[in-house]
Amino acid sequence: MTLLDFARGPAIHWSLIIMATGTIWRLLGVLVLTRGADLSRPRDAFGNFKGYRTVFSRAWPSGEFTTATRYQTAMAYVFHLATLVVVIGIVPHIEFITRLTGASWPGLPNAAGVGAGVLALASLFALIARRVSKPAVYCSTWGDYLSWVLMAAPLVTGLMAFAHLGPRYETMLAIHILSAALLFAWFPFGKLMHAFWFVFSRAQSGVAYAHKGVRI
Amino acid sequence: MSSVAVPKRIFPTFDQVFQGFASQIGMLREMAPPPSLPETVRVRRAIDTLIAETNADEAVWLESCIRCGQCTNACHFFQATGETKYAPLRKMNLYRRVYQRELGPFRWWYRLVLSPIKLSDLEELQELVYDSCSECGRCTMVCPMGIDIASLVHHQRSALVAAELVPPELAALRMEQLHRGTVFGASAETLRRVVDTIREQAGIEIPLDRERAEVMVLSSAVDLVGNCQGLLATGKVMNHLGVDWTLCSDGFESANFGLLSGDMALWKKQVDPIVAAARRIGAKTLVIAECGHAYPALRWNPMLKGGDLPFEMMYMSEFLGRQAKAGRLKLTPIEGRITYHDPCKTGRRGGAFDEPRALLKAMDADFVEMPANREFNWCCGGGAGIFLLERATHLRDASFRIKMQQVDATGAETVVVSCASCRLNFESGRQKNHWGTRVESLVELVAEHLGDEPHTGRVMPIRGEAA
Amino acid sequence: MTTGETLGEFLGRQGVSRRAFLKFCSAMASMMALPAASVSALADALEQARRPSVIWLSFQECTGCTEALTRSNTPSIEGLIFDFISLDYHHTLQAASGAAAEAAREEAMHENAGQYLLLVDGSIPSVKAYSTIAGISNLDMLKDSAAGAAAIIAIGTCAAYGGLPKAAPNPTGAMSVEEIITDRPIVNIPGCPPLPLAITGLIAHYLTMGSMPELDRLGRPLAFYGENIHDRCYRRPFYDRGLFAETFDDEGARRGWCLYKLGCKAPETYNACAQVKWNQGTSFPIQSGHGCIGCSEPNFWDKGGIYDSVAMGQFGSGPKIAVAASVGAVAGAGAALLARDKKHKTETKMHSDE
Repeated sequence: MTLLDFARGPAIHWSLIIMATGTIWRLLGVLVLTRGADLSRPRDAFGNFKGYRTVFSRAWPSGEFTTATRYQTAMAYVFHLATLVVVIGIVPHIEFITRLTGASWPGLPNAAGVGAGVLALASLFALIARRVSKPAVYCSTWGDYLSWVLMAAPLVTGLMAFAHLGPRYETMLAIHILSAALLFAWFPFGKLMHAFWFVFSRAQSGVAYAHKGVRI
Repeated sequence: MSSVAVPKRIFPTFDQVFQGFASQIGMLREMAPPPSLPETVRVRRAIDTLIAETNADEAVWLESCIRCGQCTNACHFFQATGETKYAPLRKMNLYRRVYQRELGPFRWWYRLVLSPIKLSDLEELQELVYDSCSECGRCTMVCPMGIDIASLVHHQRSALVAAELVPPELAALRMEQLHRGTVFGASAETLRRVVDTIREQAGIEIPLDRERAEVMVLSSAVDLVGNCQGLLATGKVMNHLGVDWTLCSDGFESANFGLLSGDMALWKKQVDPIVAAARRIGAKTLVIAECGHAYPALRWNPMLKGGDLPFEMMYMSEFLGRQAKAGRLKLTPIEGRITYHDPCKTGRRGGAFDEPRALLKAMDADFVEMPANREFNWCCGGGAGIFLLERATHLRDASFRIKMQQVDATGAETVVVSCASCRLNFESGRQKNHWGTRVESLVELVAEHLGDEPHTGRVMPIRGEAA
Repeated sequence: MTTGETLGEFLGRQGVSRRAFLKFCSAMASMMALPAASVSALADALEQARRPSVIWLSFQECTGCTEALTRSNTPSIEGLIFDFISLDYHHTLQAASGAAAEAAREEAMHENAGQYLLLVDGSIPSVKAYSTIAGISNLDMLKDSAAGAAAIIAIGTCAAYGGLPKAAPNPTGAMSVEEIITDRPIVNIPGCPPLPLAITGLIAHYLTMGSMPELDRLGRPLAFYGENIHDRCYRRPFYDRGLFAETFDDEGARRGWCLYKLGCKAPETYNACAQVKWNQGTSFPIQSGHGCIGCSEPNFWDKGGIYDSVAMGQFGSGPKIAVAASVGAVAGAGAALLARDKKHKTETKMHSDE
């Protein structure tokens, strides 16, 4: 079995199994817990429902914090969008998803994919540079750095595989797939789970504050 | 100084009140009870408290933090000191550790890798959840995940109550309220004496223990043992409005050191007699005195089923603001530029934004909002009991500078507050910084600007916002 | 049976012009990455080369490799060079059979001990009974013949890596030459079939240099297997622009767009197909509209479907992941229910403590 066969076969398969199991485990392990009840009378009868808009409105910082959060907001947006483009725009990735789900859609030209990959990587470096340079603000844990490394690795190896840098293409491709497998396997255990939590977390606060007539 | 047009002063001015309080607070520290339980029991109780208080909401919030650090932009204690330990995201670390070890979905793993909680961890936590967090909730406004860190801090206060680690000042007041039912010695007897004094000296009748009344009004210890001006003003305004009102000697205290310290049982113990008294007299409205945390303690008490109560609960500023909005409260114009400070507990965490502003509008004030206002208002630094903590003085003073800048930016001569804690803290900051801005209480300001014609007929309490 | 005739004399006798020969030499030189100045030296050396003795063993094979080499529609210099060697044993091509043929092999082995080239096509069954020649098992014949060989050339993927016979479940226990013979220099010329130029080019190199060329990690001459087909493919610009044939009869296929999505294995295949092409440079699979199947790579039969693109994960099933998700759901909900229970018990305990 070559490295590529291992990466494309058991490695990615098991990583997906771990990701599926772990993600659902963690989500249900939290969401099935008891819900506290706020018995106090809401400020207006249907006001609580307005709280759900926080799920969307919190996608952008309020005017009060625009300046303070500008760098991070910009970089985080570039990173998330560029990564999304990389994940769903590059043809080999679409092929991978097609094999897994059956869904298929047209891909982007390679130049666009590479551009997005470079942007994603650059923004990731911009974010880690800030994290490292301001330890007082970030209170980083080892999990934060691990998440960063595991996120950066597929971007670096993917770009290297595309550019045919380093080892032979199929070896680089294997390393790229292995790095993605590591990312998948780590996903349920670290802060990457915010991909799911943000919905619940924002909704809860939005509703709790809307209950009191406050729009957050 | 703080008076605009009061001809005769019966009670000391607020800066004198403040001086008196400072010495009283100093005595509290000696009164604090020492821990009585063995170490392991204290730790166990703290952990059990967190287990009992953790629902899915808390779990989701604890899971959600990505340590993006943006909350540091919002926190006055971090901004004022730049010290990493005051970063809001740090203030939930211990809670998360307990959660991950005891309740989280991967607890079997985390029990292997996370060290158990020790008493020293809880002792370190004390500064984070009492001294350096006023539970103002400003960090929630910037958090991209919308985590309600303030509520998580509050649960940790509960845990520290169980671990007998409440800071001495709050512990002393909690014990006083728990065992004697008073705060700063303000008993029903004190209330009667103050009511008598006000009647005799100012000629203002404060109805006490009437059998039936439309409106039940609360007072607070600060009013009774210090600034009796507040109760006097309340009487003046209520009588002017012609409201059918009363105070009840078996339920008059707004201050709730159960809520402030995190003792849920005491919280309930304080609230129950107030609710019982209001039911007994057939009140339709319960007006909470200008004591910020009393608003969440009563109006937003999650254990009190609001829909089932025969009365509506309002903060003083809310009650008066609704009267003004409805045109029942005519006020005389006020001179000079004014700004308004939303107490965290009634503003961001209470939603009473419009009513106090309606009152200022009724006074035809040259009203200017602070750069960060309403939901984004900066805490004065004294809320959630921090004003009482001697150890937190440097934190309070440092963060108050942010508040001063905010007020100064408006060019206002007067800043109006509607919370005794905020007011004490503003007064403290004003004196320490030789700050020229006047600090006024909303209800006292209203009392000084009542229009000429008092209502004679009965005023129905106004329900609902539309009124 | 090495004769005195040189390759130059032989080709002259066959009517190959000096010009055509030099052209072949230039092509060889460029394939082998030799400097242009060395072309004449190469030509001289080749012209002076003497016929080497060659024994060709065919085991579990389809004769496709021999066909590719000999069935050109016009005589090529590749073919002629093949003709030039003294093919002392090749049981598909030779007239003799049975004991006579085996006698010829043994004679060649004795006369040229340590000198002859051993060419092998087809894989070797480790279960001896599956394939025998004149009662001799393939395994024994290979070991016997390899003992006196100067070098071994494994022609075709079967000989080089086991190929089709080795595909799972590999009923014959097929093995490649290099899995059996470890004490002789072995050069792999994989492909199904390999490029004729790669075979003759290797022989030409051996004739001129007297040694084997530089090999890659899979034992293949770098001169022919050093480059990725994807990198040399004339359809590469379409890949870069994101233009793909989605099916074999769509507009993209008609317009000659990239076949990546149709399972073309060019990105992971190393061979000279795209430059050298087949049938006297006429075409190669991708040019004819079918993706590369990666035939020159080990185990290409077992690397997922021919029409599965390179990027596709080779895991059996979504169902396994669905099962895993269900396990996660049970574990998660179970953990939460236990936590609820713990919370309620703690609440009760705290109340009783008070």
